[in-house]
Amino acid sequence: MRLIETKDIWKTYIMGAEKVHALRGVTLNIDRGEYVAIMGPSGSGKSTLMNLIGCLDTPTSGEYTLNGADVGSMTDDQLAVIRNREIGFVFQTFNLLARATALHNVELPLIYSGDPRDVRREKAIIALKKVDLGDRMTHQPNQLSGGQRQRVAMARALVNNPSILLADEPTGNLDSKTSQEIMALCDRLHQQGNTIILVTHEPDIASHANRVITILDGRISDDSVLTSGEKTRGRVA
Amino acid sequence: MITFAIMREALSAVWGNKLRSGLTVLGMVMGITSVIAIVSTVEGMQSNMEDVFSNMGQNTFMVTRFGIVTSWSEYEKKRRRKIITRDFIEPIKDGCDACEDVGAEGYANSNIKYGSKTMPRVSIEGQTSNHLAMRDVDVFRGRYFSEEEERGSKNVVFVGQDVVEDLFEGEDPLGKTIRIRRLRYTVIGIADKIGSLFGQSQDEFIYMPLSTLRKNFGEQGRRVNLVVKAVSRDRLEEAMDQTRVVLRSKRHVPYDEEDDFDLLTPDAILSFINTFTRAFRVILVALPFLSIVIGGIVVMNIMMVSVTERTREIGVRKSLGARQSHIRSQFLYETLTLSAVGGLFGILFGMTLAGAILSWMDIHTPTTMLAVYLGVGISTTVGLFFGIYPAVKAARLDPIKALSFE
Ligand SMILES: Nc1ncnc2c1ncn2[C@@H]1O[C@H](COP(=O)(O)OP(=O)(O)OP(=O)(O)O)[C@@H](O)[C@H]1O
Ligand SMILES: [Mg+2]
Repeated sequence: MRLIETKDIWKTYIMGAEKVHALRGVTLNIDRGEYVAIMGPSGSGKSTLMNLIGCLDTPTSGEYTLNGADVGSMTDDQLAVIRNREIGFVFQTFNLLARATALHNVELPLIYSGDPRDVRREKAIIALKKVDLGDRMTHQPNQLSGGQRQRVAMARALVNNPSILLADEPTGNLDSKTSQEIMALCDRLHQQGNTIILVTHEPDIASHANRVITILDGRISDDSVLTSGEKTRGRVA
Repeated sequence: MITFAIMREALSAVWGNKLRSGLTVLGMVMGITSVIAIVSTVEGMQSNMEDVFSNMGQNTFMVTRFGIVTSWSEYEKKRRRKIITRDFIEPIKDGCDACEDVGAEGYANSNIKYGSKTMPRVSIEGQTSNHLAMRDVDVFRGRYFSEEEERGSKNVVFVGQDVVEDLFEGEDPLGKTIRIRRLRYTVIGIADKIGSLFGQSQDEFIYMPLSTLRKNFGEQGRRVNLVVKAVSRDRLEEAMDQTRVVLRSKRHVPYDEEDDFDLLTPDAILSFINTFTRAFRVILVALPFLSIVIGGIVVMNIMMVSVTERTREIGVRKSLGARQSHIRSQFLYETLTLSAVGGLFGILFGMTLAGAILSWMDIHTPTTMLAVYLGVGISTTVGLFFGIYPAVKAARLDPIKALSFE
């Protein structure tokens, strides 16, 4: 089933007299259950595309249909609801609330979906256990390692059972061993049926995905499905 | 459900940054303390004044030669009026069926002595013996003087609480002899405590029969104010009209001329004093409101800084599905919590301060809830008014810009 459908998406920033085209007509389909990596040089528009897919932003022109709903015509509040129900974000810089415990951080999306307190708690605990942090629930971010922080962020992204997990360079701030842990977690989540889209600079990381989309200068320059052979080679490279 | 959760987020943000919260609360406390202190003080003074004036008696009015004089020229004019003497009592009694009773009082003041102690310049009133029944002065101990004592110009006195305190110091004054201008008077009764007005005690007085005042103080004792009591509140106006008619005819005032006397009700005196003190009260109350506004601006500034500092947090919350209204509520609850705490302390400090000021002024009126309502009202208003802008600003932040904010 088609989850994401974009048609000729443009994103243009106006900087004074100058127009910056971050995206120049992206047409893309992603199905439920896919595991997609987006690659490309710095400034090519990867984050811009992720933000659009994640409904943090709307395209300047073009169509974006998520789960059959036309995102382009949505109000701010409707977008917020989509972000809350359909999207799980993971950021390079974790973006956890510094003063809140791991548990509370994971509970946040449930606050905005209106779950009662005990339900929030219960779901958050389950999500934390899924990322093997059942024993770190009352820790604050500064009492956790980078990898643990990113796992808290992933638990937070997943707690509301979103349609898509969006990760913009999730391993960008992690060493290679920790990166592999995070990617192993991604693989597991994918096997459990989650749709995952991640941005990365590293072929090594990208090779975990089943499909690699390459962006160049705001356009898709390559979109290829990885064979299991390529996946193995990628991992070695 | 969401509301409670967001309130909890707001509370933990308030609790999580104690320095910032403390400063915000402080900004509120100062303003609210001063408003509450001043408003309660003014209110206390006001109700005290009303208390004291109610001692003048229900349904009574006074007939005076001068009334309320507000200018020199008015004084000059009224000085030419004929004096008022007790001779008008009987005509009014005869000619006014709405009047229950008519009495008179004359004034003097003098040093008074008991043993070796002296009390300087005590106000002395000569009164007709029906005075006590017309005024709301109560007998604390002993008795008031009788009609016979008044008729016989006896040297007896009925004294206020301050006289008891200053001259007798624990001794029982009843039956004791005090000296006024070398004459001896027997203390026969003590009045209930009245209180003070504008920081001045109303309990420093000596009442004696009017005839005694006339006998011992000379001409001074002839000039009196008449005290008239109407049969009921409803007939007060009528009593005043009838009294006016009697006096005009007795004093031969031509029909086309104004009264050559003034009628004063306690209400009229009170409202005169009120107009007189209004400007004073307005300024007194307006000043601290300025400090509230300043406090509010401090609060707003701190909240703005807080919004900026927490831009990233706002971005994160938005990325997780917080709507504008959620963010707005959270920040508004934060400001409201802080201003409520500030208001609470302000009420506490303000009422304590007002209590101290009032007791220093020797005013002992029970405190009302006004200060509490006012404190709660002001702090909520300030919280809303100065909290809404930072909250709206936070709510409108663009999630992507907020997330990439350094
Ligand atoms: N808010 C903005 N205003 C103006 N230009 C912007 C804005 N955001 C992004 N851009 C521009 O759009 C282009 C794409 O940016 P984007 O962040 O999507 O790149 P990226 O592929 O994620 O790069 P990186 O790998 O370095 O993260 C860049 O040229 C960038 O300067
Ligand atoms: Mg990027």
